[in-house]
Amino acid sequence: MQAGRGFRLAPRRLLLTGWPWLAVGLVLLAIRLSKGAGFSDLYAVLTRPLWPGSAQSEWLRSAQRLDQQSRLVQLEADNKRLRQMLDLREQGGRLVSAPVIARPASLWWHQLLLARGAMAGLASGDVVLAPGGLVGRIASVTPTTALVELLTDPASKVGVWVPRTGEHGLLVGTGTARPVLRFLDRDTRARAGDLVTTSPASTLLPPNVTVGVVQRLDPQGTPAPEARVQLSAPIEALDWVQVRSMAHEATP
Amino acid sequence: MTDLELWRRGWCLATALLVPLMVLLSPRWLQLDATGPAWSVLWLLPWALVDGPWSGALVGAGLALLLDALHPGAVSQVPALVLLGWWWGRLGRRSVVMERSLSLGLLALAGSLVLGVSVLAQLALTGAWPASALQVLWAQTLLTALLAPLVCSLWLLIWRQQLPGVR
Repeated sequence: MQAGRGFRLAPRRLLLTGWPWLAVGLVLLAIRLSKGAGFSDLYAVLTRPLWPGSAQSEWLRSAQRLDQQSRLVQLEADNKRLRQMLDLREQGGRLVSAPVIARPASLWWHQLLLARGAMAGLASGDVVLAPGGLVGRIASVTPTTALVELLTDPASKVGVWVPRTGEHGLLVGTGTARPVLRFLDRDTRARAGDLVTTSPASTLLPPNVTVGVVQRLDPQGTPAPEARVQLSAPIEALDWVQVRSMAHEATP
Repeated sequence: MTDLELWRRGWCLATALLVPLMVLLSPRWLQLDATGPAWSVLWLLPWALVDGPWSGALVGAGLALLLDALHPGAVSQVPALVLLGWWWGRLGRRSVVMERSLSLGLLALAGSLVLGVSVLAQLALTGAWPASALQVLWAQTLLTALLAPLVCSLWLLIWRQQLPGVR
């Protein structure tokens, strides 16, 4: 028993006197195992005041925006020239801004009432645009008001196309917030996330106006595949819209 | 009937113009599931109860024509509102019990249901069946029935004050 106690005592004393060395050893082991990860964190904390600030990313973003804007202007001019060469319909036409003065809360009809009418040059069939894209078409006008049939109205049918795959379809309102896109082809290559716009060769609508995004595809739809479309314009939140009168274009 | 009474009666009838205005206004805080109440039912019910079947049917037709002008398409509310005006007018002639709150609520519930079904049937015939049709129908019916005791008895009170001779 004497020897046993001696054996137990010696390491304990060693532990009591030599703990700083043990701690240093553990730290070194931690550094080795983590490959000095703590140091890069420490460096990051210490140099934080010297990091590139938000101003720098703002400069980059504004430069990018400027670049995109100038490219957009150039491409639009180019596009216009090419369209003129092809004798296609232009996106021109007079734009009339109109406030939304009533949004009757009946889901039988999805409609808006605008405070501009025939006296402002609007006519039945004109296209109604909002921030975000196409909203609907004018169903009827009075001298000072116009009634808009929204894309979500069950009676609304508009020809659209999917630019990525070049497929045509019919956008039919369902009375809910998301209209249905009925494709004309039996097998469609469109998929969820695809952009939906008006056709570039459209005669009734201005070409290449954003309509929405394909949200869900039902390939088993009859007689043709169907897709739910989320409209890009926030129809519930509209205060002002723009009406592009199509009648003025027919007479050059 | 004196001139003054005719004049006041005309004013009472002119309150029907509030119906299309309320349809256009459709305040957000009076909506259930983005659907407003059937304002035409809320106005026509007390009018027909007070003024009899002929007046109810005629005013119902006028009101429906006004409301039809607010919507594109060929769907019409005329048949439903004429029918309801006639029916409520007959009920009003028969007894005063119909003007209790519960009766007003039940009559408005039935009226809103008839109106909604007639519109839906016409939409189905034209092939423009809304996807959320039954939900909308139910929401509108419930909201109309809940508002009816409040709004209809208010109209009855106002008209009685203006025209003491009315039943």
